[in-house]
Amino acid sequence: MEERIVKFISALRSGGVRVSLAESADAFSAVDNLGIQGRDAFRLSLRATLVKDAESLPTFEELFPLFFGSGEPPPLMNLMEDLTEEEANMLAQALQEFGQRLREMLERLLRGEELSQEELDALGQMVGLNHADDLRYREWMARRMQRALQFEQVRKAMQEIMELMAQMGMNKERLDQMRQLIAQNMDALREQLRQHAGQRIAENMAEQRPEDQLEGLMDRPFQALSDSDMQKLRQEVRRLAALLRSRIALRQKRAKTGHLDAKATIRANLKHGGVPFHIKHRDRTLKPKLVVICDISTSMRHCSELMLSLLYELQDQVSKSHAFAFIDHLEYITPDFQGNRANEAIQQVLIRMPPGYYSTDLGHSLQNFADDYLDTIDHRTTLIVVGDGRNNYNDPRLDIFRKMARRSRRTLWLNPEMPMLWGTGDSDMLDYLPLCDTILQVSTLSELAAAVDQLLVEKS
Amino acid sequence: MNTTSAFKSIEETTDSLGGQQYIANDEIATTVYLSQQLGKPLLTEGPAGVGKTELAKAVAGSLDRTLIRLQCYEGLDETKALYEWEYAKQLLYTQLLRDQLQQTLAGANSLAEAADRLTDEEDVFFSMRFLLQRPLLRAILSDEPVVLLIDEIDRADAEFEAFLLEVLSDFQVSVPELGTLAANHVPIVVLTSNNTRELSEALKRRCLYLFIDYPSLEQELSVVRLKVPDLAPQMARQAVELVQSLRQIDLRKHPSISETLDWAQALVTLNSENLDRKTLETTLSVLLKHETDLRKVQRQLGRMDGRDDDEDETDWDEELPRRRRID
Repeated sequence: MEERIVKFISALRSGGVRVSLAESADAFSAVDNLGIQGRDAFRLSLRATLVKDAESLPTFEELFPLFFGSGEPPPLMNLMEDLTEEEANMLAQALQEFGQRLREMLERLLRGEELSQEELDALGQMVGLNHADDLRYREWMARRMQRALQFEQVRKAMQEIMELMAQMGMNKERLDQMRQLIAQNMDALREQLRQHAGQRIAENMAEQRPEDQLEGLMDRPFQALSDSDMQKLRQEVRRLAALLRSRIALRQKRAKTGHLDAKATIRANLKHGGVPFHIKHRDRTLKPKLVVICDISTSMRHCSELMLSLLYELQDQVSKSHAFAFIDHLEYITPDFQGNRANEAIQQVLIRMPPGYYSTDLGHSLQNFADDYLDTIDHRTTLIVVGDGRNNYNDPRLDIFRKMARRSRRTLWLNPEMPMLWGTGDSDMLDYLPLCDTILQVSTLSELAAAVDQLLVEKS
Repeated sequence: MNTTSAFKSIEETTDSLGGQQYIANDEIATTVYLSQQLGKPLLTEGPAGVGKTELAKAVAGSLDRTLIRLQCYEGLDETKALYEWEYAKQLLYTQLLRDQLQQTLAGANSLAEAADRLTDEEDVFFSMRFLLQRPLLRAILSDEPVVLLIDEIDRADAEFEAFLLEVLSDFQVSVPELGTLAANHVPIVVLTSNNTRELSEALKRRCLYLFIDYPSLEQELSVVRLKVPDLAPQMARQAVELVQSLRQIDLRKHPSISETLDWAQALVTLNSENLDRKTLETTLSVLLKHETDLRKVQRQLGRMDGRDDDEDETDWDEELPRRRRID
């Protein structure tokens, strides 16, 4: 049993649940306490000790029955037993009509025989079940195994047999009864296959080391991410935002200047008889102001989406932020963020500004900004441009950008492209470069996180 | 009432929580029991208003223990949570005892001797007498076993969370002037979180985890029956069904159990006999606390009005989610 639990824990880990050693030790003592007789209590004692995230609960609920069996697959019925001799003869005759392989399968269904472990293993081997290590493949694998057993043909053959026997003059009620039983048997077999597939995959998962799935994703370039990866990353972005938030909070705590905190000062200086040697200050909130201009043209979408969601999550930290998006002209998107959920807000923006074909025009967008929103930048503002600086040979409007950079506290450019590509083709990156304080190549989530972290540090 | 101040089995846990008017399902009862058996804090998460805080109160009530509550908020630090020296009192005492002090120091021949004598008396000023006990310290030093509720831990800063770690794993705190104070009785600790931010892994590791979700129809109904017995059974069912269907709609804030109870109470107070549209429109604001949510639901109500006027008035609540999907 213990081995089984250990395996279960490693399957959980490779399913993306964080389980520490201390927690698995807790799980064992919880199981010791409640025993394994009560199935529900057993499940709950594992769950309360191993899973500490509402998001991980479904993974747990999916894996648990695979390791500790939700009970047997539904029993198969033997039809042969209660047939009269005459009926049995008719059946045997009807069976003669079919080929060897099909006949075996048909007889199995009629006798109500389960598949043996060896047979299941052989089937699994055939369809490549041993290489599957993701529960998403479960249904697919089960279907492949059914196909290997020629389920479809068997079903048709069964119908033919029934018709044959009807022609031979079998009682109609009996036939219906048999048909029902056979259908039940088939369902039971199907369930057995499904369970086997699930168990096998879960075991594969347990053996697989919990490879740094997320870490891998975080270091993968944005272009190389699939949709499901993006989904995972979006969750990660949220976690990251929480992390950054608390890190910022810690940093703010260490403020050495600001208003005097009289109470804390008296308290700290009690040991000196109330003579204030150590002055304590009230925590200072160093909330940065941000203006973000984000390129959401086709080439940039992945990066900008994640950037926007990270910004969205950090909203309460960076309360004075203004976000703009541009393709060929500039749009103010902060209102979209307010009162909407992250996903909706970002989708809303992306729908309103559909990507065009070679339509990026940063110069014109900067002109828009200078016309309408220049007052959002002041001496406390950090200006961030997210983009690849590819301008379709339009005027880069360096004059406006220079003006903006001069007004702001500092200017940061996040570019997903490799530095060696800057200045090639229609890229104006090298022209913008001298005007920025910092330029970071941000092509993965971890780089993005590092960039945001840096940006929230007060410039000293 | 329990005399030994501990649950003996899962069934007993369910029963005695029930005695406190708290309807615990298997999940809750098992986890509470486990947390007591293992001596580990219990971290409960879930939507607002599903009875996380209530659970701690019920546990305290059914074990006949005192409930010590620490409400977390941004900026909460150890002086508010653990202890604080009563410096004003200390100063006052020094002033008042000046004569006494001078007497003590009177016969001293040298400065060193005077200082020595003073040191001997020093303990007077750094004793429990001047220690202002905050909830955490009170829970640890209590002579009787207690239940400690740390409410909405997600509101506190991350550093406070780190500070809690020592307390929660060893149930001891160190006060520099007094040394380490260990708990006489390990308290039952219940932490609640609304999940507004991710808690640290280290904290989660030390806790058992319990996710309390919105209850099923039957469970919620039995809660309503228990807490608002004056509401007619038929009405109660209708009301709970409505609330359950509201939770299916995409709203900014879904009605919680406590709001269901408020609403049920409101219906009793208004002497409503049926859940007709007029009653609904006047009382809906008890359930929905956001302007946009309120308008959304009212709009759907209104649309229903226009479309099928003769429809049985109680029928529409099952319709709500379906219509939403058509939108």
